[in-house]
Amino acid sequence: MTINTPNGFTLDNTGKRIVVDPVCRIEGHMRCEVNVDDQGVIRNAVSTGTMWRGLEVILKGRDPRDAWAFTERICGVCTGTHALTSVRAVEDALGITIPDNANSIRNIMQLNLQIHDHIVHFYHLHALDWVNPVNALKADPKATSELQQMVGPNHPLSSPGYFRDVQNRLKKFVESGQLGLFKNGYWDNPAYLLPPEADLMATTHYLEALDLQKEVVKIHTIFGGKNPHPNWLVGGVPCPINVDGVGAVGAINMERLNYVSRIIDQCTEFVANVYIPDVIAIGGFYKGWLYGGGLSGKSVLAYGDIPENANDFSADQLHLPRGAIINGNLNEVHDVDPRDPEQIQEFVDHSWYTYGEPGKGLHPWDGVTEPKYELGPNAKGTRTNIEELDEAAKYSWIKAPRWKGNAMEVGPLARYVVGYAKGHEDIKNQVDGLLRALDVPVNALFSTLGRTAARALEAEYCTRLQKHFFDKMMTNIKNGDSNTANVAKWDPSTWPKEAKGVGMTEAPRGALGHWVKIKDGRIENYQCVVPTTWNGSPRDSAGNIGAFEASLMNTPMARPEEPVEILRTLHSFDPCLACSTH
Amino acid sequence: MSDATIHTPNPQAPQPMEAARLTGDATAEDIESIRKRTSVYVYEAPVRLWHWINAAAILVLIVTGYFIGSPPPTMMIGEAYQQFVFGYIRFAHFAAAQVLTVGFFFRIYWAFVGNHHAKQMFYLPIFNRRWWSEVFFELRWYLFLEKEPKKYVGHNPLAQTAMFFFITLGLNFMLATGWALYAEGAGQGSLPDMAMGWLLALVGNSQRLHTLHHLGMWAIVVFMIIHIYAAIREDIMSRQSIVSTMISGHRTFKDDRVE
Amino acid sequence: MSQIETFYDVMRRQGITRRSFMKYCSLTAAALGLGPAYVPKIAEAMETKPRTPVIWVHGLECTCCSESFIRSAHPLAKDVVLSMISLDYDDTLMAAAGHQAEAALMDTIEKYKGNYILAVEGNPPLNEDGMYCIVGGKPFVEQLKMAAEHAKAIISWGACASYGCVQAASPNPTRATPVHKVILDKPIIKVPGCPPIAEVMTGVITYMLTFDRLPELDRQGRPLMFYSQRIHDKCYRRPHFDAGQFVEHWDDENARKGYCLYKMGCKGPTTYNACSTVRWNDGVSFPIQSGHGCIGCSEDGFWDQGGFYNRLTTIKQFGIEENADQIGMASAGVVAAGVAVHAAVSALKRAQKKSQDKVED
Ligand code: HEM
Ligand code: HEM
Ligand code: NFV
Ligand code: SF4
Ligand code: SF4
Ligand code: F3S
Ligand SMILES: [Mg+2]
Repeated sequence: MTINTPNGFTLDNTGKRIVVDPVCRIEGHMRCEVNVDDQGVIRNAVSTGTMWRGLEVILKGRDPRDAWAFTERICGVCTGTHALTSVRAVEDALGITIPDNANSIRNIMQLNLQIHDHIVHFYHLHALDWVNPVNALKADPKATSELQQMVGPNHPLSSPGYFRDVQNRLKKFVESGQLGLFKNGYWDNPAYLLPPEADLMATTHYLEALDLQKEVVKIHTIFGGKNPHPNWLVGGVPCPINVDGVGAVGAINMERLNYVSRIIDQCTEFVANVYIPDVIAIGGFYKGWLYGGGLSGKSVLAYGDIPENANDFSADQLHLPRGAIINGNLNEVHDVDPRDPEQIQEFVDHSWYTYGEPGKGLHPWDGVTEPKYELGPNAKGTRTNIEELDEAAKYSWIKAPRWKGNAMEVGPLARYVVGYAKGHEDIKNQVDGLLRALDVPVNALFSTLGRTAARALEAEYCTRLQKHFFDKMMTNIKNGDSNTANVAKWDPSTWPKEAKGVGMTEAPRGALGHWVKIKDGRIENYQCVVPTTWNGSPRDSAGNIGAFEASLMNTPMARPEEPVEILRTLHSFDPCLACSTH
Repeated sequence: MSDATIHTPNPQAPQPMEAARLTGDATAEDIESIRKRTSVYVYEAPVRLWHWINAAAILVLIVTGYFIGSPPPTMMIGEAYQQFVFGYIRFAHFAAAQVLTVGFFFRIYWAFVGNHHAKQMFYLPIFNRRWWSEVFFELRWYLFLEKEPKKYVGHNPLAQTAMFFFITLGLNFMLATGWALYAEGAGQGSLPDMAMGWLLALVGNSQRLHTLHHLGMWAIVVFMIIHIYAAIREDIMSRQSIVSTMISGHRTFKDDRVE
Repeated sequence: MSQIETFYDVMRRQGITRRSFMKYCSLTAAALGLGPAYVPKIAEAMETKPRTPVIWVHGLECTCCSESFIRSAHPLAKDVVLSMISLDYDDTLMAAAGHQAEAALMDTIEKYKGNYILAVEGNPPLNEDGMYCIVGGKPFVEQLKMAAEHAKAIISWGACASYGCVQAASPNPTRATPVHKVILDKPIIKVPGCPPIAEVMTGVITYMLTFDRLPELDRQGRPLMFYSQRIHDKCYRRPHFDAGQFVEHWDDENARKGYCLYKMGCKGPTTYNACSTVRWNDGVSFPIQSGHGCIGCSEDGFWDQGGFYNRLTTIKQFGIEENADQIGMASAGVVAAGVAVHAAVSALKRAQKKSQDKVED
C-alpha cells in the first residue's frame, strides 16, 4: 500500500520487511523496521522507542529544587543538560535570577558536554559505520603516518612506529579470536569504502579519543563534583569561588581554574587536530553517499542556547541560534515561542500513551503522560514477542512533538541550518570552509554525512566558546565579583502559590525543553520534550513521519540483511532513547 | 469517712485491694504488709536509682539528639581543630547512650533478682481477664467516668501498659536503632557492628534508620509528658502515694477502705 | 575464573575434530578478510586461555554507568576492553546490531556456559508484562534471565541494577525491579552509585580477574573494599562537622571556606561509597569538594528520603508530608494540650468533689 504523507514522503510497505532490534551503538533501546523494494531501496520506515521509565510521573509532588537531579538521570550520555534545563525551568517559574559567574560556569559545563558528547559519538558510536577496524590490519603503518601528517599536521601522535604499535595491538586482539565488541560486525560489507590506512588511522583515534574523553569531562568534575551526573543548583551553581581568602583550598581557586584552562586547551587541540581532520578525511571517501537528508532540508528547529549574559535569553544574545524553518524555505526563519500553546504540542495517536481523546495535541504545560501499551491489529507476533509492528496503530514509547503541526528535525545540523539561514557569522564561515574543503555544494549538507559534519563543526565552535566564557569569568573575578549563587528565593516560603515556567537548552542532540507547573511549593506537572523525542517521533495524527523515519527513506542497501546503511543514518542523529521517552 | 486513721492497721479488712490482688499486682506478702504497716515496699533502691539515672540519661539524649538532627548555628570560637562543639554534642549523646544501655541491662537483670514489682514493666498479663477489666476501669477513671480510683501496689494496669510499650519496647527500639547507627561510625567488625549491624542491612538505608531513631525520640517525649503528668495528677487525686514512692520506695495509702 | 575453557576445549567437548577445528579457523580468517597466514595464529589463540568473556546487558537506565566505566583512568577503559576481558555483548558499544547482535549474545552464552560474567546496567520493569523495556521484540527481563542462567557471577552496576534507582522512585510506574529480586540463584555483586566511580567499576572487575575470586561483600552484597565506609567517615570537611562549623546558605562565607555541608542536606553521613577517598574522574574532585552535598546516590531508595537539601527526611505517610521533628513536635503538642485540658478538668472535678464532701460533712 502506498501512502503520501503531508510532509512530502511516499511510503510503500509492500516490500520485504526488515527488522533491526536492538539498534546498537546508541543510548537506550530502539527498534527499527523498514520495507525495502526489490532493488533493496528503503520505501517505508518505522522508528520505535522501546523503553519508558515514567520520570514525568515520578516528578509529580516533588520539591522543584530537586527536579534537576531526577531529570539529569533521564540520560547519562547527555549528562547535565537536563539538569541545566530543569534549573532554568524552575528559575523561570519562580523568577529567580543567577549571578554572572554562574552563567559563565553553566555555559562552560554545557559547552563541555557538547564537545565531549560529539567526540564520543563520532568515535565510539558512529565511526564503525564508516571505519573497518579489521581492514586496518592490512594497512602500511608508514603510509598511515603520511596520511596522518597530511590531514592533521599538528597532531603529535603520527609516527610510523606509533601506528605500527597500534596495529600490532589490534592484530593480537583479532588473532585472539575473541573479537569482543567487533564480533559479528559487517566487516566484509561492500558499503565500507575506506582504504586500510584510513581505517588504521581512524581506529587509532578511536582509542585516542577513548583516553581523551575522560580528560574532557574533568571540567564537570571541578565545577560539579563528578561526571557523569555533576551537581547543579537552582539559583546558580553549587561551587563557590574563593581565589585569595582564608580556606580558598575548599573552593574554586587558582589551581582549579588553571586545571579548567588546561582542559579547555586540550579539547581545542584534539578537535582541531584530530576530530575535524578525521571527519574531512572520512567524508572525502564517502562524499558520493549523500543519503539520509530526511527532514533536514525541510523542517528544522532550534531553541538556541549559551546566553552571553546571565538571565538574558533573547535570541540575539544566544551563541547557538534559535529559530524554526519549515517547508524548506531557508529564506524565512520563524521565531519560536515555547509558551505559545499553539506552537509546540505533543501527539500520542501512534504512541503508547493516551489522552483519552484521539487526534489531540497538548502543549507541555498541559501535557499528560499516561501509558497505554497495545499493538495494532496488523502487528505480527504477540504482545510480548513482537515480530512486526503495525505502524497504522500505536507503535512507540516516544511521543510525537510537532511545531505548528510540523514534524521537525533538531540537532547540530538543525542548529547549523538555522544559523546558516540567519547569517550567523561563525557558523557561516565554518560551513563554507567545510564545503570548500570537501568540494561539495550546500545541498550536500542535507544528508547523513552533513549531520555528522555539522556535529564536528559545532564541537570546534564550542571549544572557542568555552574559552570565551572562561576568559569572561576570569575578568569578572578580577573585577571582584565572585558570587555564584542567588539564595533570595531559596526558601519555598518566598514562592508564589502557583507558578509555571519553561527551561530551554540546546542539548548535544538538539532542542530540549522542560515545562514545569508548581503549586504550593511542589511540582504539579512536569513535561520534557527532548531532542530524540523530536527526531525519533512516530507518526502523528495527520500522518507526518518523524525525522528518523524520513531520513531512512529511499536509501539503497547493499545487503538488506546487514543494516549498515540503516545504522549509518540513524547514528548520524546520535539517537538517545532513554532521553526520548524518559 | 470513718474516724479511724489509716495509720492504724486494719487487720479486720476482709480482703484489702481485691483488684490489685486479682491482677497479680499485689502479692500475699504485700497484703500482709499492708495489714501490719499501712505501706508496701514496692520499688527497691536499685530500681529507684535506675529510674532517676535513666530519666537523666534520656533527657540528655533528647536534647543532644535533637541537635544532632538540627545543629545549632555555626559558632566561630577558633579554627576547626580548636573547636569541638558538635563533637561534644555527639559525645554527650553517646555517653548518655552508654549509661542508658548499661542501666537498661541492669534493670533487666534486676527484673530477675528483684522483687515481684521489678518484673511488672516487662510483661502484660493479657490472658488475665480481670486485668483487662481493670484496664478499662482505669480508662474510665481517666475519662472522669469513675468517681473514685482503685488502689494498686505497683503500676496500675494502664500505667503498666504504657511502661511496657514506651519503655520496654520503646527503649529497646532506641537502643537497637541507636547502636546500629553507632556501629556505622565504629566500623564493620566492631563490637556494635557485630551486635547491631544487621539492623542497618534490614532497614536497607542508613537515612531511613536515622529517621526511625528520630521518630522514636518523639515517642519517648510523648511518654514523658504523659508519664510526668500522670504521676503528679495521681499523686494528688489517687488514693495512694506516687512521686514519693519513686523516692522512698514505699507505697502508702490515703485511706483504708476496700473497693 | 580459572576454569574458563578455551574455545578449542569447547569444540572438542562438542565432538568436533582437530581437522574441522582448523577448518573453522581458516573460515574465521577468511570472514575477517585476513589471509591464510593468520590461520595458525587464530588456532593458537583459540587453544590458549581466553580473556574472560563479559556480557553487558542494559535494562531501564540512563547509560551513565557505561559512561562512567569508560572514564576509568587506572586501568584505562581501552586496556580493560582490549586486554583484560572480552566484551562480547554490549548493545551500547558493539558494532553489530539486530540479529547479528543477538547471535553474538547466544554464541557467547553457548560457548562459555558457566564461565562468563554477566554485567547488568539498569533494571527490568515488571509491569505491563515487562514491555516497558523491550529488546528484540521481547521483554528485557527475559533476556536478563536467559543471560543469567549460565553466568558464573553477576555484577549489578549502579543504583539501577542494585536498588532500582530513579525509575523505581515512588510511585515506580513501571515496577522497575533490581536484579537480585529477579535472579535469585546466582552470586550478585552490587556496585551501587548513580553512577559508580569509574575506578571502582574497573577495580571490581580487575580484582575478580587478578585474584580469581569474587570480592568480599558486605551484608548488602557490596564489595567491602569500596563500600564499607561512609562518605562522612573519610570526608576532608569532617573537622568542620565536629567543630560545628556549617555552610548556612549557598555561597556564604562558610561555603567559600569549605565548611561542612551537613545543613545543606549533605547525605555523606548516611552514604556508603568511596567518593571521599577515591574521588571522581581520576581523583579530581567529588561532590562535596565541589560545594554540593552528597545526595546519597549509592544508597537504596535515595530518591525517596525527602528533599536533597533537607537534613531530616520528609516522611510521606497517610498523606502527611513532614519531617520527624515536625511530626514529633505536632504529636507532643497535641499530647501536651490534651494533658493541659485533662489537668484543668481534673482540677475542676476535684474542686467540685471537695465542696460536695464539705456539703456532705
Ligand atoms: C531515648 C534514647 C535516645 C534518644 C531520644 C535519641 C535521640 C536521637 C536523635 C533525635 C538523633 C538524631 C537523629 C537524626 O535525625 O539523624 C540521634 C542520633 C543518634 N543516636 Fe540517639 N537517641 C537515643 C538513644 C541512643 C542510643 C542508645 C544510642 C546508642 C549509641 C544512640 C546513638 C545515636 C547515634 C549514633 C546517632 C547518630 C549521630 C550522628 O549521626 O551523628 N542514641 N539520637
Ligand atoms: C525521662 C523521664 C522518665 C522516664 C523515662 C521514666 C520512666 C519510668 C519508669 C520506667 C517507671 C517504672 C519503674 C519501674 O517499674 O521500674 C517509672 C515510674 C515512676 N516515675 Fe518515672 N520516668 C521519668 C521521669 C519521671 C519524673 C520526672 C518523675 C517525677 C515527677 C517520675 C516519677 C515516677 C514515679 C512516681 C514512678 C512510680 C510510678 C508508680 O508509683 O507506679 N518519673 N518511671
Ligand atoms: N535526546 C537527547 Fe539527550 C541529548 N543530547 C537530551 O536532552 O541524550 Ni541522552
Ligand atoms: S544507576 Fe544512575 S547512573 Fe547508572 S544507569 Fe541508573 S540512573 Fe544512570
Ligand atoms: S560535608 Fe557531608 S560528608 Fe563531609 S563532614 Fe560534612 S556532613 Fe559529613
Ligand atoms: S552523591 Fe554519590 S557520588 Fe558520592 S558523594 Fe554522594 S555517593
Ligand atoms: Mg515528555
